[in-house]
Amino acid sequence: MANKSVWSDNRFWQRSAAWVTGFASVLLIWLTFDTSAQISMGNDADLKNGVTKRVPGPTVINYKITYEMDTKRGHEVPVIGGKEKFFGRDDYSEEEAGALLHLGKLGSQAKNCMDCHTLLGNGAYYAPDLTKSWLDPAWGPEGSLQAMTGKNTREEAMAEFLQHPSQYPTHERMMPNLGITAEEAKGLVAFLKHMSSIDTNGFPRNFGKIQGAVHGK
Amino acid sequence: MANNHLTSESKQLATWYFTFAAILFGAQLLFGLVAAIQYVMPGFLFEIIDFSIARILHINALVVWMVFAMFGSVYWLLPDETGIETVGIKIGKLLFWIFAAAIVVVVLVYLLVQVGPADETTIWFITEGREYIEAPRWADFGIVVVALGFVGNLFLTGMKGKQTGIVTVLMADMIAFSGLYLAGMFFTDNISVDQYWWWWVIHLWVEATWEVFVGAIAAYGLITMLGAHRKTVEMWLWIEVSMLFGSGILGMGHHYFWIGTPEYWWEIGALFSALEPLPLVAMFIHVLYDWGKTQGEQNAQGKDVSVINNKPAFTWFVLNAFGNFLGAGIWGFFHTLPQVNLYTHGTQFTSAHGHLAFFGAYATILIGMMYMGIQGSNGIKVMKNTKASIWAVSLITSGVVGMTVSLTIAGYVQVLVSRAQMGATWAAYFDGQSGMWFTQAMDWRLFMGAVTFAGFLFLIKDFLSTGKDAQHEH
Amino acid sequence: MIETVIRPEIALNDFLPIFVSSAFVLIFGAFYVGIYTAVKVEILKKWTMPFAYLFWGLTCYMLYIMGSLMHVGEFTAKALVVAMIGYLMLPHAVYYMQHRVHEENEH
Repeated sequence: MANKSVWSDNRFWQRSAAWVTGFASVLLIWLTFDTSAQISMGNDADLKNGVTKRVPGPTVINYKITYEMDTKRGHEVPVIGGKEKFFGRDDYSEEEAGALLHLGKLGSQAKNCMDCHTLLGNGAYYAPDLTKSWLDPAWGPEGSLQAMTGKNTREEAMAEFLQHPSQYPTHERMMPNLGITAEEAKGLVAFLKHMSSIDTNGFPRNFGKIQGAVHGK
Repeated sequence: MANNHLTSESKQLATWYFTFAAILFGAQLLFGLVAAIQYVMPGFLFEIIDFSIARILHINALVVWMVFAMFGSVYWLLPDETGIETVGIKIGKLLFWIFAAAIVVVVLVYLLVQVGPADETTIWFITEGREYIEAPRWADFGIVVVALGFVGNLFLTGMKGKQTGIVTVLMADMIAFSGLYLAGMFFTDNISVDQYWWWWVIHLWVEATWEVFVGAIAAYGLITMLGAHRKTVEMWLWIEVSMLFGSGILGMGHHYFWIGTPEYWWEIGALFSALEPLPLVAMFIHVLYDWGKTQGEQNAQGKDVSVINNKPAFTWFVLNAFGNFLGAGIWGFFHTLPQVNLYTHGTQFTSAHGHLAFFGAYATILIGMMYMGIQGSNGIKVMKNTKASIWAVSLITSGVVGMTVSLTIAGYVQVLVSRAQMGATWAAYFDGQSGMWFTQAMDWRLFMGAVTFAGFLFLIKDFLSTGKDAQHEH
Repeated sequence: MIETVIRPEIALNDFLPIFVSSAFVLIFGAFYVGIYTAVKVEILKKWTMPFAYLFWGLTCYMLYIMGSLMHVGEFTAKALVVAMIGYLMLPHAVYYMQHRVHEENEH
């Protein structure tokens, strides 16, 4: 008869399970604190002073955003440039921009966007990814989507599409009419513009490479 | 299900849970078929039940039927494990009706109201619009109350009766499972923060607490169906808990590659998700080992009969061990390293993995538990396979595997065309979707979905009729 | 001098071999532990044991192919080597423990 060994003792394994779980949980919580600090939203002062935040403040809608190769990090990152008009203005205050973003984020949930589209790559796969949709050349000055809606700016074209999606089919698979109002559409476009400024570690890769429009170089 | 053989109220309640779960399973498959048809014929039910609505119902029914079947499984095994009747069973029964009624209301609102204006009332009463946990806020609170009641019953019973290793694991696991739901109950304008906590619910459910739950149920099944030695089985269970939580909790890193979170998650995610298949391999050996060992002992005593006292349930349990490894393990490992995930993230690859993993890791073992419920309700000593049970398992399995293969091919096209070559724009997306390989893969997915549904019909037929089949030993 | 590291692009033709080899990592890995366990519980004859180790070798090879096509970094490459050695020992350790439990409880 063998001696009782520690390896075949249930209490040993029970304690191991508790320790391993506890250790992993503590590590996760610690990392959560660090990550939370890094992904907290920036503010208007950060943007004015050129402080780079992983998630910029809502007034980023006052600025031009591009997606460019960062040779040091080895992938594309969003770059916030000079002022750019958004629905005719580039002086949204922190409150105004925050309210638009709030409306847009609520709208993205109230209309179940994520059950057809992906946002930051998460969601359903029935419709295009929206992570960098603001930067999509199709919505740009020479883009087919802007031309289709007959508008002159990205934001107006996107807002028009969102309000009357089934008038502008781009594929046999169409977006349904979700009863999006003009104000909600404005909020949603602000939400999309803000999302395109989030540093996603180079996802999606090669965005718009063939169309050559965005980072291009 | 006839309950005349059940003396335990806990087991009766379990059969209610199983029954409602089976109904929701049917709903899941039906709405899955609607969504699959829409990929092939986009005009189907357009602006009536759009893809988004069909998909919400498809994935919400999935989550809810599994939760129902999990609660049912716990109520089923509690009297066996603890040796006493479940404490607070009256409250348990009341909570069942509250839960079921709430689900019906939520589903009706999804179907009939669908979307709301962009304000808080929509979040509270119509939809939260967050994948898998779309249920509106009022329902969240309902779910918390029901879960608390369930966890309370489990704890009181476990502390009053015999607290076996299996019960201890379930107690710890179920409280984590319920508590994590709270991480998904708040609203924020910051989508990165939103996604960060959303994964706490989704990942820590399906890749940690649910997996541990499956380990505990598998342990119970091996003891009751095979007569495996409790000491060995429980030791395995503790090892599996260590491995599952040890790799699974930080395996969360693989969801934090691209949502705005820092780059150090690449290394953490890559390392721990490379470890994630190991416990699944261990669970696989566990079943093989116990089966071989008990059958070997039986044969050594000169009795050349099978040690398994519930063939259909055991078939589903073995499928679970295999499917968990294949679906969660292989299909997960396919696209988990950041170098490749950059291209596969958010494509049909994820969908392929989701189908095989939910089926392999969870649907299989929960269907197995339903069979144990039928065995107990009808007082059957040795339960055998029927024609319908064999048809069910074959059709459902080949259907799901077929869907998975089709979706993998579709995902491969997306990776090459929409991602690697064209870089995820609107045009890139639709170029990928229009490719011949993609559209054909979607045709096959629909066909395989229909095969799965046919298998489900056989399963229901078997559930309703096998109890009276004379071939079982009473 | 600023170091310029462009993350290596995965070649288009490499995606398929990556997916196939990563699947085989786990399939061969399962064969290894599966055969090992089956021999130990006497479902398979003893002479099949070398095949278990053969499959472990194939697992390593598949992982090597996958890693090099994916251009994993130096750190990851080392981690993968350690993982494979751990994987070689895993079933031995598990079986040793199982054996002890049975010895203590049944004899």
